[in-house]
Amino acid sequence: MAVKPKTLTQAKALYSTNSELAWWVFMRVSGLILIFLVAGHIWMGNIQINVADVDYAYVASRLSKGWVKVYDTFLLFFAMLHGVNGLRYSIEDYFKQANRRFWAKIILFTIAGILFVMGTMTLWAFDFSEMGDAVRSLDGGSH
Amino acid sequence: MYRGREGQWAFILHRLSGIAIALFLLLHVLDISLVMYGPKVFNAFLAFYHQWPFRIGLIMVIAGVVYHSLNGLRIIIMDFTEWGIHVQREMWYGVLVITAGLGFAILAKIVPEIIGG
Repeated sequence: MAVKPKTLTQAKALYSTNSELAWWVFMRVSGLILIFLVAGHIWMGNIQINVADVDYAYVASRLSKGWVKVYDTFLLFFAMLHGVNGLRYSIEDYFKQANRRFWAKIILFTIAGILFVMGTMTLWAFDFSEMGDAVRSLDGGSH
Repeated sequence: MYRGREGQWAFILHRLSGIAIALFLLLHVLDISLVMYGPKVFNAFLAFYHQWPFRIGLIMVIAGVVYHSLNGLRIIIMDFTEWGIHVQREMWYGVLVITAGLGFAILAKIVPEIIGG
């Protein structure tokens, strides 16, 4: 396995799966989907409002809406896979030593995995409609 | 297509904007996840985030997203059509023009907010 394939026939014999082709297709399909999802995300968060007005109450009210949770779940899923696979391409291109390439990818996938779990928890593990109400009543009490 | 001509610049900008957006994405998932720690922690963090250097950075990320989206469409057209390869250079200039146009529109919206706020 340590021997690098030198011809197409050798490469085909060595690599029985074609996962890189699948990723190539995925980057194009997810990219097309992300254009619409990200455009909507930027529109809602930066154009329709002043992004400096974003606070806990705003995010909590967003995360109380079912359609936002579904929208953001698709956004998180496609953006993380598309972005992390793109970073993986960059690591493959710019890290010349095999062991550095290996560890860079391990670190990347670990960080991405943790963040994906955190993002999914944020979207689905809490009832922000209740927490949002609690915070609004706190605000009302202090003013 | 390559050898330092438009195609190579298109690739370099696609790579740079892609890395920048992906790193921002990781940071952005982390910062929004802080909402799990409640209003005190989250609002304190957001106040830090709303300082002008971060807001300028956000404008650049948005510009990067616009370029990466449009050039991504150009790549898809090049990959799946015969004519796309013949007009890839023209399409890249189109990508730059639209990116600049949308970029100025976004600047016109957000810069007054930063100066005013």
